[in-house]
Amino acid sequence: MEKDNSVKTMKSAKTLKTAREAGYFGKKMLTDAIKAQEEGHPIGWSMVSWWQGDFIAKAMGMHLVYPENYGAFCAAVRQAEPYLEIADSEGFPNNLCGYARNCLGFAKSLRDNNYVIPEGAPGGGLARPVLLLASGTACDARYKWFQSLGRYLNDVPVWNLEMPQSGVKEYYLKDNKEKNLRFVVKELRNFVSFMENLLKRKLDHDKLKVMLDQALKTLNIAWQVDLLRRAVPSPMVSQDFWSVMIPHFYLPDDPEAYSFYERVYAEVKERVDNGIGAIPNEKYRMMFSELPPWHSIGFFDELSKRYGIAMVMESWNYHAPTPMPEEELDGVTDPLEIIARLTYHKWMEHNEVAREFDTSPGFFNAAYLKWAKEYRADGFFAHPLMSCRPATYTLMHTRNSLEEKLKVPGVVVPGDIIDLRVFNADEGFSKVEAFVETMDHYRDLRKQAGMAW
Amino acid sequence: MSADNKKGLAKAQEIYNNRGKYARSLKEQGKKVFGYFCCYPPIELLTALDIIPVRILGDMDQPVTLADNYLPPVMCIFCRSAFDLGMKGKYDYFDGFVGAHACDGAERTSFIWTNYIKTPCNFHLDIPHTAHDAAVDFFREQLEYFQKELEKFAGRDITPDELRNATMAHNRQRALVREIYSLRKPDPPLISGTEMLTVLIATMGMSVHEGNLLLEEVIQEIKQRENVHEKKSRLMIWGSLIDNAAFTELIESSGLNIVIEDTAIGTRPFWHDIRDTENPLQGIAEHYLKEVLCPRTFRDSGKNYEHDSELRFGYLKDFAKHWKVNGVFANIIRNCDIHGYEVPVIKDYLNGLGIPVLVIEQDYSTASLESLRTRFQAFAETISS
Ligand code: SF4
Ligand code: SF4
Repeated sequence: MEKDNSVKTMKSAKTLKTAREAGYFGKKMLTDAIKAQEEGHPIGWSMVSWWQGDFIAKAMGMHLVYPENYGAFCAAVRQAEPYLEIADSEGFPNNLCGYARNCLGFAKSLRDNNYVIPEGAPGGGLARPVLLLASGTACDARYKWFQSLGRYLNDVPVWNLEMPQSGVKEYYLKDNKEKNLRFVVKELRNFVSFMENLLKRKLDHDKLKVMLDQALKTLNIAWQVDLLRRAVPSPMVSQDFWSVMIPHFYLPDDPEAYSFYERVYAEVKERVDNGIGAIPNEKYRMMFSELPPWHSIGFFDELSKRYGIAMVMESWNYHAPTPMPEEELDGVTDPLEIIARLTYHKWMEHNEVAREFDTSPGFFNAAYLKWAKEYRADGFFAHPLMSCRPATYTLMHTRNSLEEKLKVPGVVVPGDIIDLRVFNADEGFSKVEAFVETMDHYRDLRKQAGMAW
Repeated sequence: MSADNKKGLAKAQEIYNNRGKYARSLKEQGKKVFGYFCCYPPIELLTALDIIPVRILGDMDQPVTLADNYLPPVMCIFCRSAFDLGMKGKYDYFDGFVGAHACDGAERTSFIWTNYIKTPCNFHLDIPHTAHDAAVDFFREQLEYFQKELEKFAGRDITPDELRNATMAHNRQRALVREIYSLRKPDPPLISGTEMLTVLIATMGMSVHEGNLLLEEVIQEIKQRENVHEKKSRLMIWGSLIDNAAFTELIESSGLNIVIEDTAIGTRPFWHDIRDTENPLQGIAEHYLKEVLCPRTFRDSGKNYEHDSELRFGYLKDFAKHWKVNGVFANIIRNCDIHGYEVPVIKDYLNGLGIPVLVIEQDYSTASLESLRTRFQAFAETISS
């Protein structure tokens, strides 16, 4: 594809004051890691593992940075391109995940500079790791990418975390859940031994417990914010969420993240109490799936202005899960088991809805069927990505299911998380303009069918 | 003339050309037929219940049309093509469907398949990512569930002896396939890559017993016939699968003899036997995780890049040596992440052994094959000089 540097980014104004402050956490992750390295702490590059590996590594004194997040960061500041070009010239297919290609390019430049972060690396760059913490959950790229980094990070080991991804029917087979969890706990123990060997230090179980307690509190309050968002008009929109999610997704064990969410909660609650909507003229309520065009979040501001569309719920994978039922943790004291249950719960919690609607998989897909009712959605915005297959695989299926089972129609606007050229805002606007009528029509259909919204 | 009247290579060709017809004829004989994805579902369990396992393939000859509304274009086109065929009713003879988390694409396709293409029985097999002991235990437990679901469908239990016998029959098949591979060691090889592909695809659509008979006939025929092949540069294929003989024909008519394929319709399902263990499912679980060497299974890191590559790809060195390989074609179906991420690594490794590598990302379409001819011809020239 021809390079087109004239493509414009569209920044969002965000509607919440707290959302405008959230960028602090992204920068903090990067600068803390560089500081930690200077102080001699080990650095890990980690895939998002839905909290499966993070607290263990951190409780052992390792500082984690997230190359997926770094990819989003480089894209947002329009500095991913040189790294993508390096990855291409190294022979990696150019249809691999954009975040991965960004990282592979960065890793090569790091190696070529004798592992000193090259001057001018976006956000100060990623500090040199002693571990690559991979995960097969959601996507193959998330361990294949780290394996292929061996070319540039010669002797840095990769550890791959295991998390079962049962089918919906299979999830309900007798004892399957407990067997799955037993497997995850065993693997977490293996991971701990591996880490103890790598770092030559023992896991501090008490420290881990404290981190975990904090993380559960942070995830809980993030979920409570989600509950507030059911209000009509919507007190917070996706443009806000994509900023405020950073602390709960990456740093839930950080007390600062928790206090931040207390403020988010207060701000959103105040709006709900006073019937204030995030956008002034809410006419349509839509859900968005799955990863947004980071470079053009302002597109959604414009949708609000033009058509009164509020993006009321979005991006299943970034959301805190509902709190685990009390009996789930009854008598469970081993922090590794709590971690296993937390991540497994995140991935499996929507199986119930999936079963009710006879659809699969539960992850990435079924949550939208639940949310459509709870958030009174009029439409579904599907955003297929060039760069992230797992966030794209089930989109058409989810669109079909929503339309067929709940009379909630979908619009498909392709784009990308990293490549600006794939996203054509004008085409997006025309599609949505036509879609508004479709939403009106389906509202009537839902009314005729006696549905609640 | 039907497949019944033919033998050996001609029979394989006949079945390869008419997989659906052949499967339907099995159904007319009262057999049950299950479809399965990739080389990870242990088909030994199906055989134990006299269910015929049919490997789900795509069709490089047909444009994908119906799948667009279900599976997006960023997905591996092999998966999209297979699903497209399913939506078009090409697999409407399945009594059951075995989905598998082989790779991410196969996993999501499996899930989505069960939403739109209904069969009386289906099971999704969750395949762990590592070959750790805990993963083997987990996989064995998943196989126990799989077995129970199959038994429910069949209305009877599998006895340990039946499972053992089925495993032995499949091991016999593995041995026969390896024997054919050994007939590709001479120069020129006694059987071409195209013939091999048709034979393997034919066996992947019939009962193991019929398949073994076919393989025996093929072996006898090859040994007896005069070698019909010419000497050319010797090529190993590594990477995404090839399931259409037009592709291998194109390669072999470009100055190359394909002598071995490290792919999912090649050595991978056949290279190692399943061990006989006290609980037969243990041996099966170990085999599929530890010995089916698709890079979808994560192997623990070596101490540095070189060591890691050796641990993961060392077996290719043996292939190259014993099959006297002059060059390797790394076949990447566009959007296949499992193989895509390995491209520079596999090149480093094989080049380090002095073996040239041709990497081609292709769109899984016979219509666009001809445009690749010059690249194969140029590669053949390079490696012959
Ligand atoms: S493909 Fe998507 S989920 Fe996978 S590593 Fe890339 S951004 Fe993450
Ligand atoms: S990548 Fe591996 S697991 Fe996936 S379809 Fe190909 S051979 Fe099978």
